[in-house]
Amino acid sequence: MGVSAALARYAGRRAHVLLAEVPGNWELRALVERRMFARGWCQAMSPADADILAVCGHPGPEFAGNVDLIWDQMPGPRVRVEVRDAGSVDSVLARAAAELLDTESQRRDAATRCATVEPHADDSGSSESHTGQQDSHHGGMDHGDMDHGGMDHGDMDHGGMDHGGMDMAPAGIALAEGADDRDGLEMDVLQMFLGPVLAYWPSGLVLKCCLHGDVLADAEARVLDAGFDSGRPVLPAQRAAPEVAARECDHITNLLALAGWSSAARHAREIRDLLLEEPSPTDRAQPLLEKLQRKLQRSWVLRWSLRDLARLSDADVEQHRLPTTLAGDTYDRLLAHVGNALALLSNQLENNAFGADADDITTALPDLVRGLEMASARLVVASLGVDIAPAESGSRG
Amino acid sequence: MADGTTMVSSVWALAAAALLGALGLYAAVVDGALTARSSGAAANGATTPLVETARLLRQRRRTTVAADTLLWRVGGGGLIAVALLMITVVPLGHWTLFDLDVGVAWFNAMDVMVWALVWLVGWGPNSVHSLVGGYRFLAHGLGYELPLMFALVAPAIAAQSLRVGTVAAAQHGLWFAVWMPVAFLGYCLGVVAFSVWGPFSPALGTDIAGGVAAELSGVDRLVFQAGRYLLLSAGAAFAVPMFLGGGAGPLLPEWVWVLVKTVVVLTVLVWLRRRVPAWRPDKFMEVGWMALLPAVVVQDLVVAIVAVWRG
Repeated sequence: MGVSAALARYAGRRAHVLLAEVPGNWELRALVERRMFARGWCQAMSPADADILAVCGHPGPEFAGNVDLIWDQMPGPRVRVEVRDAGSVDSVLARAAAELLDTESQRRDAATRCATVEPHADDSGSSESHTGQQDSHHGGMDHGDMDHGGMDHGDMDHGGMDHGGMDMAPAGIALAEGADDRDGLEMDVLQMFLGPVLAYWPSGLVLKCCLHGDVLADAEARVLDAGFDSGRPVLPAQRAAPEVAARECDHITNLLALAGWSSAARHAREIRDLLLEEPSPTDRAQPLLEKLQRKLQRSWVLRWSLRDLARLSDADVEQHRLPTTLAGDTYDRLLAHVGNALALLSNQLENNAFGADADDITTALPDLVRGLEMASARLVVASLGVDIAPAESGSRG
Repeated sequence: MADGTTMVSSVWALAAAALLGALGLYAAVVDGALTARSSGAAANGATTPLVETARLLRQRRRTTVAADTLLWRVGGGGLIAVALLMITVVPLGHWTLFDLDVGVAWFNAMDVMVWALVWLVGWGPNSVHSLVGGYRFLAHGLGYELPLMFALVAPAIAAQSLRVGTVAAAQHGLWFAVWMPVAFLGYCLGVVAFSVWGPFSPALGTDIAGGVAAELSGVDRLVFQAGRYLLLSAGAAFAVPMFLGGGAGPLLPEWVWVLVKTVVVLTVLVWLRRRVPAWRPDKFMEVGWMALLPAVVVQDLVVAIVAVWRG
């Protein structure tokens, strides 16, 4: 056995998987997570870190475009798979593992590409076909890095080509323009997109950010593939309480992971998996959830980190037409999610009190994150528990 | 010198590097095992670092558009170099590679280099998330560096020397960690911070897609991660002569004691990682300047008074 084959076998034991969740497929994504962790694999944070790109669900046209861009940025050996339904998860992952180990085909794949992802010269028109990670370089064309050459660049979306003729675009990257930041100092302005494929980010949501340094001077939210008919059956309005509670636990996991508390995030994820997996999970999940609640309440570091972030008064909540449970600061919202999940499990709630409408959230989001730095903005978005439901195919006939 | 450290031939630098590598590997193994145990993963976590190494060796290197490749690579490789330079002044029992009369300042200079190196790794790929990560590290640096410097001052005042061997020898019977706990704590925080470890890892945050490491792949990522583990190990090793009595201990030879103490400190630092949420740089700045720095300076004052009174 050759060295490369041995290396491959060894390396394949811990594949890093970049999850691209098509809106409305969070349960499928949760299942993929569960199965890949069971294989000893882990989640990738960026395309550079990924071996396997797993698309969960049936992507719409815009989403598929994003996935292609991410695929271009993966270093290789790389495998791309699409998980359509819960039944095929294991077989798809097994196939991905086998492909990853196939050194010959990986070599062939590598031979067909160059090391650097060139900006797509003809990418115009797809102004928002970017993901959080990839903008960073792929998006070279839409926005250079703010420091790029110290020069500045148009904050228009496709700067690369629009400005290409001005000879002010090194490596195809347009230069940034300046604007006054929140303290009145002139700063370079950088356009970037958060989402749709970004770990711990609500799938399907794209936040177009206007950055001063890492401060969001302005933002614009939209939902990807809005109105795309994924062909999924319309979900019943009333969902089983454990399922809704599991969704809450997923939101809690995201927020804790972003807060950099991996052990607590894992705790929340285990509760979520329990709720999804077991036939009657309530009895076992409840004490675990209460334990998590105590853990979160006791942690002063967490409180100190999340306090006063995007505090919403009752009036704000009403003005943005958000559910009243979202009032308070990010720490309050975290605990409210836990409380909500607990209430759901003990049947005190008929349905999800957090069921905010995706449209209301996208309308309110820019106001909530404006002026925050990126870390805080991510925490705030996670605390809102955004759930972009798939387009209702029923309403479209 | 009373402390009796002898400088060994520079050939031993290779052995020191191997030793540091072993410590770094140990830290990675412990971290992998702890992660696997707490998540109940099927795989044996202790092999994680080896599997990851194999994986990264097999992965292609990758560049980005208009990357500053030279500085990017300098940043990653520099971390390993700095860790190696740090341990040149750490005596292993009697032996030291570099018996510098300002060894403490040397260590401090090396840890300040980490500022530039981590930032360069963030700057290199010409990527938003990486650069945000790089600046987050600098923001943390503003919070941790001064407390770390003043923490290093305390043992030097007590020993009335900046020579590491002399500082170790000055602790006959009573470790500096015992009677200057605040300085010890400040030092340990500094080590965790310059290794971009645990609560000081927002520079590598999940919220910015891996931050400084967002665009690293293949051998570049391997070098960067190895650098972090080596820095953590070097920091743990330097704590031994500074605060934990150097090679002092019963029965075993001195060099064994140094290693045992290093391993214990390293294990605690690795174990603590998952216990606490990340400290956001903007929030930590407040703690660093309002609480930690005054506390460490008061510690220095107390140590100075004791030193004068002892005469």
